[in-house]
Amino acid sequence: MSLSKILGTRVLSVVLAIAFCFGLDAFVTGQLNEYVVRLVMLAGLYVTLSVSLNLINGITGQFSIGHAAFYMVGAYSAGIVSNAIYKTQPLAAPAYMIISMLIGAVFAAIAGLIVGMPSLRLKGDYLAIVTLGFGEIIRIIVLNQNQWGGSYGYAIAPKYQAGWLIWLLAIICIATCRNLLKSAHGLAFLAVREDEIAAQAMGVNVTKTKVVAFIVGAAFAGAAGALFGHMESFINPDLFKMEVSFLVLTMVVLGGSGSITGSVLAGATLFILPELPRIVSFKMSLGLLLSVLVGIGVLVWMNRKFMEKYHEPDKLKRTLVVAGANIGLAVLAVVVGKLLNNIPQFGTTTYDANKIRYMILAVVLLVIMLLKPTGLLGHHEFSWDWVKRVLNRNKAGEASA
Amino acid sequence: MALLTLKDATIKFGGLTAVNKVSFDIEKGDLFGLIGPNGAGKTTCFNLITGVYEPTSGDIDFLGTRICGMAPNKIAEIGICRTFQNIRLFGTLSALENVMVGAYLRHKTSLLGGFMLTPAVIKETAELRKKAMELLSVVNLTDIAHSRACDLSYGKQRRLEIARAMATDPKLILLDEPAAGMNPQEKDELRDVVFKIRDDYEKTVLLIEHDMKFVMGLCEKIVVLDHGEEIAYGDPSEIRNNPKVIEAYLGEPV
Repeated sequence: MSLSKILGTRVLSVVLAIAFCFGLDAFVTGQLNEYVVRLVMLAGLYVTLSVSLNLINGITGQFSIGHAAFYMVGAYSAGIVSNAIYKTQPLAAPAYMIISMLIGAVFAAIAGLIVGMPSLRLKGDYLAIVTLGFGEIIRIIVLNQNQWGGSYGYAIAPKYQAGWLIWLLAIICIATCRNLLKSAHGLAFLAVREDEIAAQAMGVNVTKTKVVAFIVGAAFAGAAGALFGHMESFINPDLFKMEVSFLVLTMVVLGGSGSITGSVLAGATLFILPELPRIVSFKMSLGLLLSVLVGIGVLVWMNRKFMEKYHEPDKLKRTLVVAGANIGLAVLAVVVGKLLNNIPQFGTTTYDANKIRYMILAVVLLVIMLLKPTGLLGHHEFSWDWVKRVLNRNKAGEASA
Repeated sequence: MALLTLKDATIKFGGLTAVNKVSFDIEKGDLFGLIGPNGAGKTTCFNLITGVYEPTSGDIDFLGTRICGMAPNKIAEIGICRTFQNIRLFGTLSALENVMVGAYLRHKTSLLGGFMLTPAVIKETAELRKKAMELLSVVNLTDIAHSRACDLSYGKQRRLEIARAMATDPKLILLDEPAAGMNPQEKDELRDVVFKIRDDYEKTVLLIEHDMKFVMGLCEKIVVLDHGEEIAYGDPSEIRNNPKVIEAYLGEPV
């Protein structure tokens, strides 16, 4: 590829990214209610968090489950600095955002360096325990700082809901990780994940690679934390509990460890999933609920025991048969559920979907992990080449038919 | 001056002396064999040379520099690279990417550039890919360049490891049982590859091997280890007729 072409694509993608962010902001804040706006902004933050954790966990293979700590360090450090400036010399709101993002990123990067150090000696479960412990230590330290409000919380000025900036950060984070994987430098990170001893024997500086992964991953989480702090304008340590780390970890694993596309998809959708019943509220009768649960069990069993053994050379036919079987099963489950409702107790006992939303989330996660143990996308990435390949394959199929 | 010099290299693990006062010189351009029964300390010797272990006592010099205690990646940088007895490829990466990891050692662009994918990085990545493809053709693996390393057959994995080590541009290449698990035809191919590495690419080769026919037909100098001690040194005909070697290892004259 020629230099001018590379530069052309670059400029085009930057313009598109900025246009997307402002377009999103204009559309979302103008048209939708506050709750949905908040969800869209949170989605952007979670995309940043999951993609940055994917750099540490999925790409470099360092099992870290303390990502909420970096998020927290970013939020608090940015908030403290921003408050100090706000008192002495008020600036325009977007200026705060830029300063806060940088401050959050720098402090979180320092935290990343500190956590990255033990990763040089620890592996797998042991590293996971250390990162988990680190996350809790940071939270408890902040919890006991009265000058930062302790458990009451800490007010951050100014309040600024920068949807465009949140999504711009997400895009920068995605672009950074994707760039790394496109370059030969990314291979060093992947090599460390695959086999540390071999990577080192091939001259890869394993120490540097791991520490850089932690620093860059933490910095993005810190920047996201800074934006989160200004978005909420009031934060407390409970917002950065272990659950957040686990949610982000779930996103990475569910999307397919190592796959940026997977992290983005899971990051943008996974936390919305339990919110959906709030938006579209519906009730389920006991009969339908039981039938659906049994149906899901049968579905998993069918796909694992039967469909995996079903070999059909024609891909289209295979996809149709599998999809047909699954849809048929779903319809059957609903029909059986309606029939079960005729039994007195089963029909009259109802559950609000909103109340059992975490159960729904758990079932969805279980099903995905049982059917796709490597995550939705495995190690795959979305790319235009892939789209072209699929289209060409279909064309070739049509031609031969 | 010798390329690699081991002088009384010794390593002890607790009470066990795995390698005891082993000394030998490897000259530039040698095809050097290291043989001995199982547990003789051959792979430990490799681990000492490549920096996985630091010798308890003794010296290892490479081009006049003492390399004891250097990190393995530094040793790879100054020009010693190896393959592994129990194959250690990067399983989910493609064969091409595996070789590119080796070639990556000689990169010149900065990591920061990698995160930004600067034109220089794109250019360098393309160059590394080209170099990796060339090396794959040396070991006859061009057709499977885009297959995942873990999906390859055993013999192909062994050759891929050699290509990966070659990609680091070593002066000295250490092959740990390269012919293990190969059929006779694959062994013949491997022999050609090793000669090509030495003659066309002007590398020095040190190899561990159990297949005596293979070693005798390939190496010009051989060191024999037994229980961590060096029991013989010489060319294949000397080793073949050395009574100590026959007793310890060969069993009967080959």
